[in-house]
Amino acid sequence: MTTVAITWKQQKVSTIIGILSVALVVVALVALSIGQVTIPVKDIVSVVLYKVGLTTQQPDAIHETVLWSIRLPRIVMTILIGAALAVSGAALQGLFRNPLVEPGLIGVSSGAALAVVALIVFGSNFLFVKAGLGMHLLMPVAAFAGGFASTMLVMKIGQQLGKTNIAVLILGGVAINALAGALMGLVIFYADENQLRMFTFWTLGDLGGATWQKVLITAPVLILSSVWMLTYQFPLNAIAIGEAEAFHMGVDVERVKKSIVFFSALAVGVSVSLAGIIGFIGLVVPHLVRVVFRADNRLVLPASLLGGPVLLLLADLLARTLVAPTELPIGVVTALIGAPFFIFLLVRANHKNDFNIR
Amino acid sequence: MIEAKNIVLSINGKTLLNGVNLTVQPGTFTAIAGPNGAGKSSLLKILSHELTGYKGEVRINNMVAASHSVAQLSAVRAVLPQHSHVQFPFSVKQIVEMGRQHFRNAAKYNQELLDEVMELTGVADWANRNYLTLSGGEQQRVQLTRVLAQVWDQRAFPRYVLLDEPTSSLDIAQQQLIFSLVKKACERNIGVLAIVHDLNQAVQFADHLYFMRNGIIVAQGESKKVFTKPIIEETFCCRVNVYHDPCTDCPYIVPERTTLSTLKTESI
Repeated sequence: MTTVAITWKQQKVSTIIGILSVALVVVALVALSIGQVTIPVKDIVSVVLYKVGLTTQQPDAIHETVLWSIRLPRIVMTILIGAALAVSGAALQGLFRNPLVEPGLIGVSSGAALAVVALIVFGSNFLFVKAGLGMHLLMPVAAFAGGFASTMLVMKIGQQLGKTNIAVLILGGVAINALAGALMGLVIFYADENQLRMFTFWTLGDLGGATWQKVLITAPVLILSSVWMLTYQFPLNAIAIGEAEAFHMGVDVERVKKSIVFFSALAVGVSVSLAGIIGFIGLVVPHLVRVVFRADNRLVLPASLLGGPVLLLLADLLARTLVAPTELPIGVVTALIGAPFFIFLLVRANHKNDFNIR
Repeated sequence: MIEAKNIVLSINGKTLLNGVNLTVQPGTFTAIAGPNGAGKSSLLKILSHELTGYKGEVRINNMVAASHSVAQLSAVRAVLPQHSHVQFPFSVKQIVEMGRQHFRNAAKYNQELLDEVMELTGVADWANRNYLTLSGGEQQRVQLTRVLAQVWDQRAFPRYVLLDEPTSSLDIAQQQLIFSLVKKACERNIGVLAIVHDLNQAVQFADHLYFMRNGIIVAQGESKKVFTKPIIEETFCCRVNVYHDPCTDCPYIVPERTTLSTLKTESI
């Protein structure tokens, strides 16, 4: 992508990862500190120390409540979701050998959203919900099932003699997204006022509903699936040359495909169940890494894991503060930043034929 | 040795290969020539185990190809397809390294070997350049470097390199360079099989030559011996004259001028 620079300066992966880690910590602290109540960093430290039990000194009660019950779970959830979306995006782009793929484009998000919306509207009729089996548990499961099913469907549409035809795959994604959107519209017919508001939050994304309970239930899944996708650095590099070439180099391409689709559906589906559809993080973050550094997946995957949370934390900070005391939906903010960037990418790719889009 | 026995391949009722027998000996260069649509690429894909669902048997170093795992196959054979479309901006070095990626866990990654192969193919100077900014010929050379790197290290068993028209987008100097590299690979107990379009180059460099037409082997044998007017005319349905070049001590052909009418009516 850096066609201007003939020779690349090859920064060390560890240096870049180090810088991004520091950036993440700084941004997280800023996000914890800024809000309707400003909490100085030293108070953040003392609250956390008190809660963990390392100090008995009672911190300011308001600061403690705001930080521990509201802001900290929200920040942790934002970090987990940012990482999950960005890594899924990077892995899917690598897998489909297409820089324009993002989890939303191949149906993961809309499938998951449809499943969750259906659960919100019709779920109360289910016996086990009546019996008190929490929605907290059911929503991630439904989101994953919906995301996985729609992705598998899109992949099946894109199959051609055992290989994936990218153009057909993306068109299939468009079709499935449209179908899921229409079905969601149908479900809305049956929704009451309350569910309707819930639904609107859903389609635009909302990080506001974070609780420790939600975070603790979903964290293991999000962490596992995000980190698992990191292990595909080598196969994804080989696949970047071509699926046949990757096979020649000893990569079991079909297994890699299934595994990445599974784990990205898991990561994105669960993210959607927590915060609705948050677009563009999965598209933009891997691209930024490639533009600023390079395309080697040994860097792109871990750097996306750290860069996704940084970007989502910043977007969430804007969403919380721009129109305070109310909030902008996070999806609106990421799309406002992401859509122009996407257009920029398209125009640039078109002019330079940089991406070899075929 | 790679051994293909009685390979029959039909796709959608059309027979692409009909009883092909072929062997590739380690340390030698075998070339396949034939008109477009003769089944050369399909045969190469079967030998690399990329294409399955054929009848017959392929053995690599005396083991049935189908019994190898993907990783095992990659240790004994490397493949250069006709074209590779890289979608992301990798550096030349990163592309070449990928040939040895899967060895990384087994501590077989070997930086010196990478440097050696890159030096040999002349891509070492571009190591940090963006692959996407290279010319077609340069890209082809980088891909060949990657393929050679995959099997370059001396092992207890012979390795193989399968090349599908390795010189198709290169000028004559580059073509000569590629074939000299192929011969160098043979010295390392690597058996090379290449689909070659330029017959003169095939006979100049290959030890063994196969002529294919319509999914069957028309003729095969020691290159200079099978490189005859009747065999070439039968394979390509085209009148040619065979001469002898004293400089290289090789035969070479010059096709006769064909008019459209002779192309249609003449069947040899």
